[in-house]
Amino acid sequence: MTASFSLRGVNKQYGKGATAVHALSDVSVDIQDGELLMLVGPSGSGKSTLLNILGGLDHATSGEVRFRDALLTAMSDRDLTAYRRRHVGFIFQFYNLIPSLTAHENVDLVREIADNPLSAADALALVGLTGRMDHFPAQLSGGEQQRVAVARAIAKRPAILLCDEPTGALDLQTGAQVLEALSEINRLYKSTTLIITHNADIARMGARVVRFADGRVREIETNATPAKPFELVW
Amino acid sequence: MRPLDAKLLRDIWRMRMHAAGIVLVLGCGLAVLIMAVGMRASLEKTRLQYYADKHMADLAVSLVRAPDRLAPVMENAPGVAAVETRISGYALLDLPQVAEPVSARLISLPRQGRPRVNDLALTAGRWPDPAHPEEALVNEAFATALRLRPGSPLDAILHGHRQRLVITGIANSPEFVFVTAPGEMFPQPERFAVIWMGRDALGEAYDMRGAFNDAVIRLAAGADIRAATRAIDDTLTPYGSAGATGRDRMMSDRFLSEELSQLGILASFIPTFFLIVAAFLVNISMGRVIATERANIGLLKAFGYSDLAIAWHYAESALIFGTLGLIAGIAAGTVYGRFIAGMYRQYYHFPNLEFSASLPTLILAAAASFAAAGLGAWNAVARAARLPPAEALAPPQPANYAQGGGLFHGFAEGLDAKSRIILRRIVRFPRRAATTALGIGLAISILIVTQSFPAEMTYMLDVHFGLANRQDVTLTLSEPQEAGVLHDIERLPGVITVEPFRIDGVAFSKDQRRVEEALFGLAEGATLNRLIGRDLSVIAPPTEGVWLSRPLARKLEARAGDDITIEQLRGRRIRATVRVAGIIDPMIGSSAYMSLGNLSSLMREPGRISGAYLRLDPAAYAAFTARLKQTPALMGASFVSLAERSMRKNFNEHMGLMTAIYSSFAAIMAGGVAFSAARVTLAEQERDLATLRVLGFSRLEVSYVLIGEIMVLALLSLPFAVLFGTGMAIWMTHLFSTENFAFPYVFDPAGYAFAISFTLACVLVAALVVRGAVDRLDMVGVLKARD
Repeated sequence: MTASFSLRGVNKQYGKGATAVHALSDVSVDIQDGELLMLVGPSGSGKSTLLNILGGLDHATSGEVRFRDALLTAMSDRDLTAYRRRHVGFIFQFYNLIPSLTAHENVDLVREIADNPLSAADALALVGLTGRMDHFPAQLSGGEQQRVAVARAIAKRPAILLCDEPTGALDLQTGAQVLEALSEINRLYKSTTLIITHNADIARMGARVVRFADGRVREIETNATPAKPFELVW
Repeated sequence: MRPLDAKLLRDIWRMRMHAAGIVLVLGCGLAVLIMAVGMRASLEKTRLQYYADKHMADLAVSLVRAPDRLAPVMENAPGVAAVETRISGYALLDLPQVAEPVSARLISLPRQGRPRVNDLALTAGRWPDPAHPEEALVNEAFATALRLRPGSPLDAILHGHRQRLVITGIANSPEFVFVTAPGEMFPQPERFAVIWMGRDALGEAYDMRGAFNDAVIRLAAGADIRAATRAIDDTLTPYGSAGATGRDRMMSDRFLSEELSQLGILASFIPTFFLIVAAFLVNISMGRVIATERANIGLLKAFGYSDLAIAWHYAESALIFGTLGLIAGIAAGTVYGRFIAGMYRQYYHFPNLEFSASLPTLILAAAASFAAAGLGAWNAVARAARLPPAEALAPPQPANYAQGGGLFHGFAEGLDAKSRIILRRIVRFPRRAATTALGIGLAISILIVTQSFPAEMTYMLDVHFGLANRQDVTLTLSEPQEAGVLHDIERLPGVITVEPFRIDGVAFSKDQRRVEEALFGLAEGATLNRLIGRDLSVIAPPTEGVWLSRPLARKLEARAGDDITIEQLRGRRIRATVRVAGIIDPMIGSSAYMSLGNLSSLMREPGRISGAYLRLDPAAYAAFTARLKQTPALMGASFVSLAERSMRKNFNEHMGLMTAIYSSFAAIMAGGVAFSAARVTLAEQERDLATLRVLGFSRLEVSYVLIGEIMVLALLSLPFAVLFGTGMAIWMTHLFSTENFAFPYVFDPAGYAFAISFTLACVLVAALVVRGAVDRLDMVGVLKARD
């Protein structure tokens, strides 16, 4: 397996002097292509900061981040936009669908900017929403909205899928549906998938679990037999 | 400081750009309000004070000749407080520094003491010594225009005799606050003088020893003006009196009254525009604040703050906007008022005209400011007060776009996703879209209105000088003379064409209505001086009967075909009945018109004329003016090109400046609206724009969604803006039209193009400035936050 991401001595600092906050300190880790990686840790431990840097939404203060052969840490804003456009799918806790577009149109949106996208219908079928395609976000439940967000993220067949607490606002059953969809996509398309969660049980889903504390990687744990989403309880 | 107060100040600081827009727009409206109301009050107060101090006449009468012994008879008439009998006449002045002869009105001063009616305010020099008949006072406007000082000589042709006068003093009179030459509509201070001289000197010059031909009368407080007028007329009618007239027929006072009423219109019209827009700006920014503050409102209510306390907290922002707007308005209004007062001093000659904003003016401005801010905030504040805390604390549901928009569904399908977002937002929230479009539309409208002023004035000047008055010179004779005088005029050097005219002061009556006006006799087939209708057609004199101008017909309630009575006000007081041949709409003037032949026959002076219009050979201009200065029997010589030059200069200096002021106010408004609308659109769309950015859309693509929406709204506002602006411009022409001026509405494509392109440019610039915020969008922060 080849490394999708390779991080060496990554630091992220907000502010300067006495008020400086070290969000990430000396993080070095390799993430393999097609891996399903869980990031866990308390609030403020650096998980989201790492996800944002990997997704090209933020710059590291120092250190090196490589995506395949490209050095993300050396990229301009314009290059990072192109990188996101081509390779990255994002899923947030609060869905962030465009309220004025239907489920189908929300997914179709990325087809305008992606090279070889899935059709919106196929993407929505993957998350089990074929029957809800023409509904606006306001007409969908939270779980359905999040599944539309998942469909939108995968429609461009991203190499990387970054999920920041995707089930944070959902109940057990709908959360499991979303995780199932993520796991299925990871299996089918081999997208490198990183999921942030506060939940220890959900973490069992990953092939590896990276534990964060105080901006540092404390532990990387390997799961020989990752749990299936429907086996999880939280 | 209470925590809520601290929050209030921080909230306002956070929305400081919005606040600045609101304060600027409010300030502009209030500045015009304070200027116009304050100026009106200052002008009114100054006029009253001046009239009281200088014993302004309540009645004036001119007559042919009456013996001095009638003065005590008039004094004893009921209600009369004081009478000043005078000798008055017209003369030409020959000034070495001016090529053309200058017209002058001469008025006698009492033999002893100062005039008891229409006293003068001396601004320099001293009163003439009755022992020196050559000594005279001149009006300040004329002296200033020609740099005359006490001691300067003046050569005048009095009643055909050349006489050298010496200026002893410069004066102003309540009778001549606004000074125009007879028959002229606009002041030309360098072309017309008022000269006051000793009674005996003028009696000598005009052959009026022991007699008078003019009287001004002051009435006692509460006197019955009709009874007094009747008594004066009874006394003077046998002496060729034209009938005593009140202040409404005194040129200067009439102009002042018109100016006051126009200031009143200005005070209500323009500020209303601005206050509505300010209210609109408060509405959208407060609406936005309340929308972003939902959770805080819920929290405060959960803590136990009452609905009223919450409402007051947000209402305070509106009060602060109102206060800041008021301060800006008072500051700008005072500067503006002083500037306007300076301009008025050039036209209205008061001894002291100062602008001051009185307490009632300031109270009115404060009320207007708080009303605009309060009305604007009302909706949002009420919404905050009504919001149930549980609902406020729960995350808001995404707007439901499944409702409405059916009509546009098919259309939306054909668009790309970004354009679809724009269209659906507009269709789903039509009220919000309409408010933004309305604001932009109002900004365009007011620019259309302000741009129409100069176009209309230029048009009027073009018609007046280009089509109606094509003569080079108008010569007015002291008395109507036989047409033979035309031969003398033709023999003046350089005269190419001569067209005679006749003018009689008459009283028109129909049933119980009586109106005094000028009746013009126009030469048939005239090519120099022509009557021009509003449709620019040349109106030929009627072959039979009389044309009445619309304002005159309205006053008489006369229609075409009616018989009306006319009575000559001077001379033989001929009375006759004539038929109204038609009602006409001249742009300037409110007179009546007949053919020259019919009029002179009617006045039983066939062939007699009052003057002539002349076309000159430019090469002989100097010889012509030099000869004119030697010509007796002329009351006045009006040089059209000089009048035109002076009017256009005045217009460019003053009207141009006023238009620039109003245009910049309108521009501030357009900018304020545009910026506010763009900010609000950004605030509402922040999350969607951040989503698009995270998905990988470029800044340009994301900006399209933001700028596209506001530009579409701006374009949608155009039909309303053009219609409403045109309607307002037409209404303004009606409001500002007076008896003498019927302002036409002129469609000026350049003005419209400017109004539209300027506002759209403001909108685009505002959107681009706000677009900068898209570059700085904290994508992660926005997306991780709950709505």
